[in-house]
Amino acid sequence: MSEQKHPDLARREFLSSGAKLTVAGVTLASGVTLYTAAQAKPAEEAVTSKVRWGLLIDTTKCSNGCNACVSACNEWNGLESKGRPTTDAQWIRKVELKNKSTGMSHSLPVMCQHCEKPPCVDVCPTGASMKRADGIVLVDRHICIGCRYCMMACPYKARSFVHEDLENQRPHQPRGKGCVEACNLCVSRVDGGQLPACVEKCSAEGHNAMIFGDLNDPTSAIAQAVKQYPTRQIREDLDLNPGVRYQGI
Amino acid sequence: MTRLIKLLSTALLALTLSAPALAADSRVPLPEIPKAKGEQCVEPSDMMRRKHMDYLRHQRDETMHKGIRTTKYSLKQCLECHAADAADTAAAGHEAGKEGGHFCVNCHQYAGVHIDCFQCHATKPEGNTAFHPIVTPGMQDVKEAHQGSAAMLNQVAGANGDKTGAAQ
Repeated sequence: MSEQKHPDLARREFLSSGAKLTVAGVTLASGVTLYTAAQAKPAEEAVTSKVRWGLLIDTTKCSNGCNACVSACNEWNGLESKGRPTTDAQWIRKVELKNKSTGMSHSLPVMCQHCEKPPCVDVCPTGASMKRADGIVLVDRHICIGCRYCMMACPYKARSFVHEDLENQRPHQPRGKGCVEACNLCVSRVDGGQLPACVEKCSAEGHNAMIFGDLNDPTSAIAQAVKQYPTRQIREDLDLNPGVRYQGI
Repeated sequence: MTRLIKLLSTALLALTLSAPALAADSRVPLPEIPKAKGEQCVEPSDMMRRKHMDYLRHQRDETMHKGIRTTKYSLKQCLECHAADAADTAAAGHEAGKEGGHFCVNCHQYAGVHIDCFQCHATKPEGNTAFHPIVTPGMQDVKEAHQGSAAMLNQVAGANGDKTGAAQ
């Protein structure tokens, strides 16, 4: 395997080692900055509740026509449309809001809000819908029976049911017919010290509307941002304390 | 002397256990086990035969619930070595990408044990093999002949059309 045949190997190695640094931002080229989540935990180590993963979305930076986060999510997780929008799986959707009296409009991505007290976990009869110690809410498809109770319980309509046989799944994201699924904050990427696909894409496109990080770590960019700026959770009245917060709504 | 007997019996056992050799001689049909990359699996073969399902199941729960992502017993890692190679598949008389080539499927089909893994899990490592740690000489040859053809590489990596697994 010579360097000449695989010219991008060195770059890839650099990128993957870059992703494991604790540095908040690494400048790769002019105008391209790679923000890293945190130091990758060792593979053999279990996640702990010392970390609480969160996502902050600045709706003032999120532009109306942009769909980059949605397409990045679809690509990374292998979500392919079957041409039937009513049953196609959807992990993020863009929601457009308009204040009728002032005409002010917002556009924001809505995905699983990764609640501290998730209703989907409360209602699951098998324990498939679960919350990891680090706050990521996800479905264990091995024990999901596809009853869709969690879909009814979720106030954010964040979950999808897979109605059709799937092929060519991505190796890092197994998916199949008969299970419920939703955003898992790109759990395999996060465990490896990378950012979720949507966040990476948003900053690569230059919008920087999404900040991902550890809410429990006072030095993280997200913890500092939520301390400094007024942020909101959707449906705060439900007292679910989602890990996804919004700024500017 | 004892050592010689021991050696001979080990050799004999190794011969008996090699399926293609038996398949030719025996009246009993035996599964065709595609060759894997590398010399040795993560545990001795006898342990793997008996306990691979326990290893996989344990690993699956550790990964899902605790985020432990060691690769030793992961299904993804199995496929790094056991996804069928085009040369082997052709040698076994099967068209590449058909059920004959898949290590897991071949044996499970023979044993009549249904595996659900590949309804959800990918049956091969992802697309561009340039980034895989192990690339066999056979794959390297094909890669050189078809530079830049991701579809070709997918085929070589052993796409398994029958995703529902064994025992239909």
